[in-house]
Amino acid sequence: MAPIPRAIEEKSSLTLFSAALALPGMLPLAVAAQTAPDQGVIALKYFDYRDWQPGANRMSVRSPSLYVLRPLSDDLALEGTVVYDSMSGASPLAFNTLSGASGLGVTDYRTAGDVKVTKYFDRFALGVGGAYSRERDYISHALSVEARTWTADKNRTFAFGLAGTSDAIHPTDRPIDNGQRRTLDFLVGVTQVMNANAIVQSNITYSAGHGDYSDPYKLLDTRPDHRRTLAWLTRFNQYVSSADATLKLLYRYIHDSFGDHSHTFELAWYQPLPNAFAVTPSLRYYTQSAADFFFGPPFGNGLVPGEPYTADTRLSAFGALTPSIRVDKQFDHGWSADVSFSYYQQRSSWRLGGSGSGGLLPVSARWISIGVAKTF
Amino acid sequence: MRARVGVVQAGLWTLCVLALLATAGCATISPPQPWEKGQLAKREMQFDADPLDAKATQHIYTSKEGAGGGYGIGGGGCGCN
Repeated sequence: MAPIPRAIEEKSSLTLFSAALALPGMLPLAVAAQTAPDQGVIALKYFDYRDWQPGANRMSVRSPSLYVLRPLSDDLALEGTVVYDSMSGASPLAFNTLSGASGLGVTDYRTAGDVKVTKYFDRFALGVGGAYSRERDYISHALSVEARTWTADKNRTFAFGLAGTSDAIHPTDRPIDNGQRRTLDFLVGVTQVMNANAIVQSNITYSAGHGDYSDPYKLLDTRPDHRRTLAWLTRFNQYVSSADATLKLLYRYIHDSFGDHSHTFELAWYQPLPNAFAVTPSLRYYTQSAADFFFGPPFGNGLVPGEPYTADTRLSAFGALTPSIRVDKQFDHGWSADVSFSYYQQRSSWRLGGSGSGGLLPVSARWISIGVAKTF
Repeated sequence: MRARVGVVQAGLWTLCVLALLATAGCATISPPQPWEKGQLAKREMQFDADPLDAKATQHIYTSKEGAGGGYGIGGGGCGCN
């Protein structure tokens, strides 16, 4: 494998993981609310994330975050989040051979936040949001508008959204080689109350972007200058009265113009326990095909000058499993606390319906979160 | 190794089938009246009831997998993908 210069490899790790715990990115629309909240919420959470490959620890991220929801009037609500990420470690191995500066220490940080104001009317709601994220080499701005409307019985809600994102990329190892990326996102969704104990939601999002998608720190990485992503997500929550529990199911399909189409399945079981405790075990399975321009080891294999090429293993074919467990505890006076643990492993051989990309090491990660919240 | 992969894949298909059966078996469409929505109002019945957890988790997956999306829009970009 061709050696990768130290600066390139070190910075690659920052780019790869810098936003792992950052808040901007996929700000979920509040889907079912048809009236302004009558209570405010303030929540603090601390994430501790680490990933590794066989024989080598990779990246660690520590991330405190804050969420505030505040009713401004009977029909107006404000919500926002702030996060600070502190990262250290090294990039994942590109292939099975330690290369360049992998394994050497790097540090970086990121600050980010988003805010959204929602105005509620009799049969619809309008929201306007903004997001900002800054790290040493990447700045992102986003604006979004959303509209929701519901039937007279409030059992069916339609959601429509439009967002624009402008990203500026400033590689730290070169003074003038800046890049940019522009993205438009569209959302259409429906949430249906099926009965007194079940609710289902289905969203379609379409993302159209153009600009620089190549990783400036990865050797030979050349990706198309545009990307179209269609995602269809369906979620279903069912209260199970016999167990006084809630079953949560999720399925998501993604069609990506890069070629890495994916399926995601999630299953969770929320089980109340005595003394205001609750436990939620869950399992997520993810499988994707490889991008059209991904080539596995040896490095440089399949490279055609002038054609897209990447050895980024995130665009390889693989499957991944995430078992998680979360414990919640309710206290008096609106206080609550939660702790969760998740373990993630990614293997080529776990790809569903076909063999994954060969010659790649598994990637493992675990993250722990501790949170406290107060309604007011 | 191949046998283990087969067991994992069989288990996953079983999980999917069970999930679909649970969905079909439990969910009857009978829209409730306003006074019948007490259970639906509970936190555990909400989607993304914990915004901080949802955003952080989705970002972790976005940084480790090929493409993301579907949950919402407007959060902006990142250097992670």
